[in-house]
Amino acid sequence: MPSLGDKAWSPYVAGLIVGLLQIPTFLLMNTALGASSSFVTVGAHLASVVDPQVAQIKYFASHMAGAKNWWQVAVVVGIAIGAFLSMTLSGARRPAVSAVWARAMGVTSFSARAPIAFLAGFAMLFGARIAGGCTSGHGISGIAQLSIGSTVAVVAMFAGGMLVANLFFKRI
Amino acid sequence: MTVLTGILIGLATGVVFGFVLEKARVFEPGVIVGQMQLRSFIMLKMFLTAVITGLVVLAVLNGAFGVPLHLKPLVWQADIIGGLILGAGIALAGACPGTALAQLGAGYRDAIFIVLGGIAGAVFYGYFDERITAFFAEKGARLSFDQLAGLPFWMVALGTAVVLALFLVVLERMTPWRGEIGENVDGVPPEHGIEDAASTRAPHHA
Repeated sequence: MPSLGDKAWSPYVAGLIVGLLQIPTFLLMNTALGASSSFVTVGAHLASVVDPQVAQIKYFASHMAGAKNWWQVAVVVGIAIGAFLSMTLSGARRPAVSAVWARAMGVTSFSARAPIAFLAGFAMLFGARIAGGCTSGHGISGIAQLSIGSTVAVVAMFAGGMLVANLFFKRI
Repeated sequence: MTVLTGILIGLATGVVFGFVLEKARVFEPGVIVGQMQLRSFIMLKMFLTAVITGLVVLAVLNGAFGVPLHLKPLVWQADIIGGLILGAGIALAGACPGTALAQLGAGYRDAIFIVLGGIAGAVFYGYFDERITAFFAEKGARLSFDQLAGLPFWMVALGTAVVLALFLVVLERMTPWRGEIGENVDGVPPEHGIEDAASTRAPHHA
């Protein structure tokens, strides 16, 4: 049996639990699990500090208020808390930067990794908002609803990821 | 529903989500890069298990209790172009938008920049949303495979769940997850691969 202090669980146990989270999400929130639109909610509020016109833009306005938008922001904040709890219980402490970046990209310092991380985050969310969802909304939730659009988006995500990881990274 | 209730439900959901992401190591950049280089399959295993569970859950909720689904529209160009850009970002971040937060919680400090970049990317998109959607000019019908087959959702969902589960059984037999996780549970394999490469190169220098 997996215990709370383990450093690693079977991906099947973890996947089963994430799939079960669709029950409270559909029944209580009347929506599907997702993560990427929370970045719009937080970003729109931050942008409104410097640009008062933000709330006039329909896309931002539709993400700024209401229980569903703040629910998703709470989900991603909860993800950070849950990961912290799990790491604390198992003692699987992490360095500032994963060892994989030295092997795959020759990046060994935090200052060299930071700008790549920023650009990576930018591309992720810009792409996710064009496609209308990410690995959670299109992936875990969309495919579980047999959505054709989500299946197309997920195939494109893996294709994009595999292209970059095989053309620009050193094979590990 | 009040915003506060939504936040409380979201926090509870997120804590469980983040906890199991950390346990499965699917937030590890080494696991994501390993998946994209087809060296390890932990990400695909967790992802497909979540999909299979979701298919069964929704087959029951929708099929027996009439709980409505929330299909996203099929917009070919936006799905493909957005998906490709998102995928490139996933490889470079070693994370998805959700798991970047798990990296932050688990202690990878570069994840702060992934999250800040993500917020910037989302805001950048927001300013150009109207022009981008107008450029693609796609109506986007909410299409699903069960509609295409002309069968009830629950039937196709359960059938798909069985096929995906069989695929995972074969995949796990071919490459067990314990062998993919790495000594430091970060999805990074031992260095001996490099030594092997060095020893095969050695004769050329001799």
